[in-house]
Amino acid sequence: MSAVIEIEGLRKTFHSLRSGRRVAVDGFDLLVEAGQVHGFLGPNGSGKTTTLRALLGLVRADSGRMTVLGEPSPELLPRVAGQVGAIVESPQFFGNFTGHRTLRLLARAGGVPVSRVDEVLDLVGLYDRGDERVKGYSLGMKQRLAVASALLKDPRLLILDEPANGLDPAGIREMRDLTRSLAANGVTVLVSSHILGEIQLICDHVTIISRGRRVATGRVDEVLAGHDRHEFLVRVAEPERAVELLHAAELTAVVDGAALVVSGVDDPTVVSRVLGEQGLWVGELTPLRPDLESVFLELTGAYEHSSVPRQVGDSSLPQGEAVIDLDRGVDA
Amino acid sequence: MNLVRAELERLSARRFVQLMVVLLVLAFAVTAATTLAGSHKPTATELNSARQQAVDARRSMETTHQECLARLQERSPTDTSEYFADCADLDPIRQDRLPIAADFLPGVFSFAEQAESLLHFLIAFLVMFGFLVGASYIGADLNSGGVVNLLLWRPRRLTVLAAKLGTLLGSVLVLSLLASVAYLATFWMIGQSAGLPGRLDDGFWRSLGAVHGRGLVLVLLASAVGFAIATLGRHTSAALGAVAAYAVVWELGGRLVLEIIDVRRSDQLMLSSYIGAWLSGESRFFDPRLCAGTSGTGYCSGLYSLTWGPALLVLVAVTGGLTAAAFAVFRRRDLI
Repeated sequence: MSAVIEIEGLRKTFHSLRSGRRVAVDGFDLLVEAGQVHGFLGPNGSGKTTTLRALLGLVRADSGRMTVLGEPSPELLPRVAGQVGAIVESPQFFGNFTGHRTLRLLARAGGVPVSRVDEVLDLVGLYDRGDERVKGYSLGMKQRLAVASALLKDPRLLILDEPANGLDPAGIREMRDLTRSLAANGVTVLVSSHILGEIQLICDHVTIISRGRRVATGRVDEVLAGHDRHEFLVRVAEPERAVELLHAAELTAVVDGAALVVSGVDDPTVVSRVLGEQGLWVGELTPLRPDLESVFLELTGAYEHSSVPRQVGDSSLPQGEAVIDLDRGVDA
Repeated sequence: MNLVRAELERLSARRFVQLMVVLLVLAFAVTAATTLAGSHKPTATELNSARQQAVDARRSMETTHQECLARLQERSPTDTSEYFADCADLDPIRQDRLPIAADFLPGVFSFAEQAESLLHFLIAFLVMFGFLVGASYIGADLNSGGVVNLLLWRPRRLTVLAAKLGTLLGSVLVLSLLASVAYLATFWMIGQSAGLPGRLDDGFWRSLGAVHGRGLVLVLLASAVGFAIATLGRHTSAALGAVAAYAVVWELGGRLVLEIIDVRRSDQLMLSSYIGAWLSGESRFFDPRLCAGTSGTGYCSGLYSLTWGPALLVLVAVTGGLTAAAFAVFRRRDLI
């Protein structure tokens, strides 16, 4: 598959008189291939939006190489800008314009047929409200308008930064369906979001960024599998005795409330056999698969100080700053 | 072209622009209405009386000049008092204007006499309009993310900024032309119907046209300056603050300091002097320090002047410098 977005060694430092020098992105790499729905995850202040802004030529990178649809960005971005639809954070629109007029202006500025405006308003569910002024729109409606503006160009590549911001549950579902439908029609989508469950549902690939560096990338199922500890939740009548029996069978087990968690189990029948042979009958044996949220929290260290309010940018790199790249192996 | 059309629509839809146009129309209507209410068509008696008073005034000026010349001839060769220095100042031929009948017609609006000052008022308003609209047009867009939106569509920063500046200048020019034509036509009609048209010869129209042309250039320069400073400062308020700071710190404070330390021709260091010189064609300033070394050796008026040529050069250089800086900064700036 051909690369639609390639970022290598992106570095961006912000300087200010008050807070001095702050490294926002530190040697970040990203590869998005054609046809992917690629999730871009990271805690607040980890460098997601800075990366997207640098890719789209809105901030100047200190160093690194970036290409969009094969063209070096930002130098030759104008060559492919007509094929890239993007929203970065929550776009602000002119409040006195109607949604329809807002899109018509953008279409005119970008040389897109104005007839496309009604199509995209319909796509994002704003067709009936297109003649209302934007200042009367709810946050979710503004977000839909932003997505509509990104879709105006009928893009080959869609970059969506937090597209679910302000959307109600039905809106989130519609956005998910829309993304899937676009992907099915061959549009490559890069989507950043804090709603990890949503990313897991929509995306086939994922890249996780922490403190400006990539900490994981690859297919979603492979990233999850890489963090599978082969754990099972077991319910028995006497959990403490069960733990002793499992330890004797050289299995790792701990009591967790009224149940116990057994780790490092390749074959779950071993658990039921060990306990059954001693007259302890297993009432429940459930595999504990990692979800994207647990992997994200583990990789970014966002869960470490649960008793202390976590500060923006308090994320961490994995131990030894190892970078997990399931396509390329592990870089220490 | 598409970009300019889109920008034109955005500019005309801005509430601030609409408000300023309403204010312009309002100021225009109030001025016209008060002029109309305070003027009347002079009667034949009023006209005859005014003409006679004008003739008397001109004669009086001539008499004063002749008396001065006579005194000059009669004085002793050793008398160098300033009183006799130069009768040319009293020569009626050398006056900017001589008394005319309209000067002696109170309550009668004369278009020929008052058109220039009315035009100056309009230009002052348009300069303020251009500056504020220029600053808010880009300032609000930078602040609200409108520019970022546009750059996602057209990732050519200089093109986008140039389209905005071009649209602004074109729109301000068209509006200024329309406003000034409507303004002058209205007062011309008031002069015809409820006052005096005055002497509207070629010289009058040429002079008025020159003031108008110079005024329009000043309006465009002010618009570009507002746009450039707001671009540099990212906010509309940056332009307002910069102009207020310049006026207070340099035009007021700086002028005082320059006088205290006896700097010669200090008015030459003030932008306001160049604005005045450009608008009027020439500004004359008095500086007694210029006569410091001439005491006893001859007559020294202490006057020096700025003409429109150097004034235009300075104003264009300042505006060009600010605009170039705005484009250079915008080209490299992080838009966050």
